[in-house]
Amino acid sequence: MIKVQGLGKQFDGRHAVKDLSFDAPDGAITGLLGSNGAGKTTTLRMICGVLTPESGSIAIDDVAAHDSLARQRRLGALLDHTGIYARLTARENLLYYGRLRSMPPETLRQRVESVVSILGLGPIADRRTAGFSQGERMKTALGRAILHSPRNLLLDEPTNGLDVPTIRSLRSLLRRLRDSGVCIVFSSHVLDEVRALCDKVVVIANGSLAASGSPGELCARTDTVSLEDAFVKLTGQPENLSC
Amino acid sequence: MLNQTFVIARKEILDGLRDVRSVISSLFYALMGPLVVGLVSIAVRPTKSNAGASVLVAMMSVFTLVAAFVGGMNVAMDTVAGERERRSLLPLLLNPVPRLRIVLGKWLAVSLFAVMGLSLNLLGFAVVFATSGMHMNVALTRFLPAVIVGIFPLALFAASTQLLISTVCRAVKEAQTYLSMIVFLPMSIGMLLVFFPAARRVWCGFLPFLGQQLELELLMNGGEFHWIQPIVLGCLTVTLALLVLLVAANRLYRDEIVYGN
Repeated sequence: MIKVQGLGKQFDGRHAVKDLSFDAPDGAITGLLGSNGAGKTTTLRMICGVLTPESGSIAIDDVAAHDSLARQRRLGALLDHTGIYARLTARENLLYYGRLRSMPPETLRQRVESVVSILGLGPIADRRTAGFSQGERMKTALGRAILHSPRNLLLDEPTNGLDVPTIRSLRSLLRRLRDSGVCIVFSSHVLDEVRALCDKVVVIANGSLAASGSPGELCARTDTVSLEDAFVKLTGQPENLSC
Repeated sequence: MLNQTFVIARKEILDGLRDVRSVISSLFYALMGPLVVGLVSIAVRPTKSNAGASVLVAMMSVFTLVAAFVGGMNVAMDTVAGERERRSLLPLLLNPVPRLRIVLGKWLAVSLFAVMGLSLNLLGFAVVFATSGMHMNVALTRFLPAVIVGIFPLALFAASTQLLISTVCRAVKEAQTYLSMIVFLPMSIGMLLVFFPAARRVWCGFLPFLGQQLELELLMNGGEFHWIQPIVLGCLTVTLALLVLLVAANRLYRDEIVYGN
């Protein structure tokens, strides 16, 4: 479980995230929904401990963790781009991150085999990742995020640039992880994806919380039939391209 | 602590060795000095007593100090600026590993390449001097330990300086620009000694760069040698390298480090 309370962050005097509070329960997929530049990525990066919040607190599994390393021990994350090592094989990439997390050798070996099997990486596991397709890179990066069986998983727009079969297999994997009790926080600006996956939606506009609830609740609250209409009403953002 | 540091170092070494283009470039830089000095030695036909020998020794010491800087340069560029450019630094920072350990691991790898470059350079010079007819008055039992204690720390300092610069840069190309300039530092020290012989004072032998240049010349010319000089010089250079490393680790805590190009 992840609880965020009064989180704030500025860049060059501009509020990227302002007094943001929400919680993401275990066994549920919580979607962070917002336009480009709304503050989703900054929020995830603060939870992951790579950016330092200027205000607020972050608690993971009911443990208030001011120390970013303590948070990172309880998390798995796939942020922004895949960022895998091109001169290492997929398996070597996974082994490297497992060793960094000080996983015992035998456990690590078993987990790597398990992740390779779950993600269907078998045929490419021993190939250097330099020539990998976007989907193959994403699978390797996802493997890296779930290798240590984290109870909390953060994903920042993981379906960007993926083809339909890969998106479907990713959705299916996330549902399986959710059903096993993992707390998943998932950021996206693709409404169909959020509706298809998320049990709870946190709408962010200009770095602040605009609304939160299930997709159905948000539609009911705004008296709309689609999540897209609810999102526009909640964020108060007009269409910004005039044709 | 050491476990995570060595995991990072091992990965960086493997990654560096698989970058064939960069390995070939480092090999070329390490052997460039012996090649040039070898060609010059054919022209000047040096003996122990003539002026040609001292010119070759001066040239050798400059090339050797440069080799300490170029051996790990490509790895230093790739390991932070390159990771930032390819966006693999962010996933690394997501792991529960203190930034100092990350920098230490990368520094160990860069240092290994720098020391290998330096060793190859010295080996090349040994071959050149042996085949050129120069009979240097150097006992290997004195030369090798003195080089390890006094000169090799310069490779460690070069590695930490290059890593620091790499943390400032957002891309390999940017890092390449700055790191190429750094190579002029040992070159300029060599020039300084040529144009300002007054700099050859005893206390200068304890200063990083200047000390290494003077030590090499002293060893090759068979001058009077005191162990205190390479020991103090080595300790000072390593201390400086560790201080620079702390600054580099501190830079990894800055928010901007997670943003790529």
